[in-house]
Amino acid sequence: MSQAATTAGAAPAASVATSEQYNYAIIKRFAVAAVLWGVFGMAAGVWIASQLAFPFLNFDIAQITFGRFRPVHTTAVIFGFGGNALFATSYYVVQRTCQARLWSDSMASFTFYGWNLALILGVITYMMGITQGREYAEFNWQIDLIILVVWVAYFMVYLMTLLRRNQPHIYVANWFFMAFILATALLHIFNNIQVPVGLFHPHSYSIFSGVQDAMTQWWYGHNAVGFFLTAAFLGMMYYFVPKQAGRPIYSYKLSIIHFWALVFLYMWVGAHHLHWTALPDWVSTLAATFSILLLLPSWGGMINGIMTLSGAWDKLRTDPIMLFLITALAFYGMSTFEGPMMSLKSVNALSHYTDWTVGHVHSGALGWVAMISFGSLYHLIPRLWNVNLYSLKLVYVHFFLATIGIVLYITAMWVAGIGQGLMLRAFDQYGNLAYTFTESVVFLHKPYVVRAIGGGFFLAGMLIMAFNIAMTVRSGIKAEAREAQAASAEARTA
Amino acid sequence: MKHESVETNAGLLIILTLAVISVGGLVEIVPLFYIDDTIEEVDGVRPYTPLEQRGRDIYVREGCYTCHSQMVRPFRDEMLRYGHYSLAAESQYDHPFQWGSKRTGPDLARVGGKYSNEWQVQHLIDPQSLVPESIMPGYPWLATTPLDYSDIDRRMVALKRVGVPYSLTDEEYQANVEKFGEEHARMFDIRDAEDNLVAQAQAENFDGNPGTITEMDALVAYLQVLGTMVDFSEYDDGHFAEFR
Amino acid sequence: MMGLWEWITDMGNSKIVALLLFMGTFIGVVIFLFSNRRRAQKFETYRYIPLDDDDSHREPVARRDKTKSDEQ
Repeated sequence: MSQAATTAGAAPAASVATSEQYNYAIIKRFAVAAVLWGVFGMAAGVWIASQLAFPFLNFDIAQITFGRFRPVHTTAVIFGFGGNALFATSYYVVQRTCQARLWSDSMASFTFYGWNLALILGVITYMMGITQGREYAEFNWQIDLIILVVWVAYFMVYLMTLLRRNQPHIYVANWFFMAFILATALLHIFNNIQVPVGLFHPHSYSIFSGVQDAMTQWWYGHNAVGFFLTAAFLGMMYYFVPKQAGRPIYSYKLSIIHFWALVFLYMWVGAHHLHWTALPDWVSTLAATFSILLLLPSWGGMINGIMTLSGAWDKLRTDPIMLFLITALAFYGMSTFEGPMMSLKSVNALSHYTDWTVGHVHSGALGWVAMISFGSLYHLIPRLWNVNLYSLKLVYVHFFLATIGIVLYITAMWVAGIGQGLMLRAFDQYGNLAYTFTESVVFLHKPYVVRAIGGGFFLAGMLIMAFNIAMTVRSGIKAEAREAQAASAEARTA
Repeated sequence: MKHESVETNAGLLIILTLAVISVGGLVEIVPLFYIDDTIEEVDGVRPYTPLEQRGRDIYVREGCYTCHSQMVRPFRDEMLRYGHYSLAAESQYDHPFQWGSKRTGPDLARVGGKYSNEWQVQHLIDPQSLVPESIMPGYPWLATTPLDYSDIDRRMVALKRVGVPYSLTDEEYQANVEKFGEEHARMFDIRDAEDNLVAQAQAENFDGNPGTITEMDALVAYLQVLGTMVDFSEYDDGHFAEFR
Repeated sequence: MMGLWEWITDMGNSKIVALLLFMGTFIGVVIFLFSNRRRAQKFETYRYIPLDDDDSHREPVARRDKTKSDEQ
């Protein structure tokens, strides 16, 4: 390993061998797409956050009002940024840990075009007002079908690659990715059973109604968090944290316990989004119970990741990529503590319907999902193009901008959520309501401004990342062009 | 069974994972469909009229659910602010449900009849003109866009397929007469859907503009029926508690 | 079958059933992992899989030379 790394002359040859051995082209595309969607999605987020602080920003233009644009934000960051980052890293991890080339280049390439086409269509249709009205599943029924086909192709590529591995054991990161693929398929199918108005009609009606529909949607909604935004990113963590640290994961046994406990428990907890609603009590109590239990595997996983660095903490001083990965785990720990707490029915009575929930989602989404993706992409992209990162200093800048952004965001949302929750349930001495709803809206203005600023910090960091990555990729492409001649000659003789 | 065979066999890993992730969903969701007291027996809840349903479509289209809930919880402050807590029965014809998850604006489950049509129209066109502190976007295009009701019958057929008792035959119509009364049953007949829609919009003239049927007509018609179907004065206090 | 299903989904029972199910599986996995020392050791060798692949990449940071010597 160190031989190839230290002898500069050997590097081109080695890179050729690697790109022959593994399909890096597809990973490059997904990685770049992740960065682009990240910029777009986070910009959309800052935009809608500003609309809440300054409502004139809706400009009476239908396509960009908050109601139509919020799904644009959520879709772009979850499925655009997160999804593309997961495709990139899962394709990388499965090839490296199985020491086998990805199955079928054309199928892999189909997943890239299909997935991103579906997302672009989604963004356009939301702005046109075509939506299913289900949170995080707003895609209309035709786009749902495209996604389904892409997902089956993804499953096939992943499974076939696992089957042709040159390594008897399937590394635990792949388990998490596999669970993510399976669960997402299951959730996507059952939450999108619709009866279309017509074959060419964009609109459809959910087969379920009322309470059953609510339960199905939040079973989906929370497991999108559980499997898309948690299990899959844990797969990322189990590869990139050890890799970046240059040391093996703290305990492999713990990772197995972590995996089974997590996949078993997550599927039960969705109903905690429906506490105190018309959903029967037994379901939401069951969900609350499992939500509390979920703390154990979550923290087990966090400890496993962080302890990987045990004995080498100095890396945090010299390596900003490591800083991203470890901070991500810290935020993971924090939000998986906050989550079970908010699923308690008494806490939920206050927090539900308020910005506390929004803050909680973002401490997970910005702190955990985005941070671990940033770290992984910074690790991955130089390796894909076989160059050095353009600037390590800018990674530091990105890290601090992102961290300040998150802290501002979460704190503002705690103030907003708890404050509004308390105001709405306050009574005066005669037993009348102490505040009108409008008064609570007035109270929210300042936290909303701070939140938008926090989002702005985070977006600024993302833009710096995009610049850093663009410069890195550019130098990579230049180097590739220089080496192209020699490389192709090498490939022909090989 | 050895764990080795799991960890070295991709197929087995997949099957076990699927089994494990299915348990939670099965135990929690499936019973909701056959346990009798999931949805209370209550008088008055009926499907939406064609105009109201089109209004609901617009409610979904504009993403109102991103800021407004339609689910009053059983707390004293919510009862004072919004009214009786929501029943499962009240959203039994809602495809999709619109309970929402965030109250950037107030709950709308019982907004029907609270404000006049004129107030609703003015508020939707320019919310700040009535509530200066409001952060709601304006929806002026609703008042100027004619309502597209050319596909109302196809929409109702689709809804019928998912279980809303709209009628296509005389038999089904008669059943609706018995269940919802003649006046409503006529509204639920798909064969007259377009005429019914036009008639309701013209009779009640929600947007104050009798010339055209606009999207505003439909949306206000929907808002004004929200939460008004059940007459809670007919039931004793605590009658619904047994269903919770 | 239906009777059993309804018994399980009754709140009073399902909490306990779920708890037992979870505890049983959990303890099973733990016992499996820790009961046999050879098996436990074998599992821990899998930790090295991500580090085993030949990484032909030039290390992005010169400073990391120090950390590299740690591994060896």
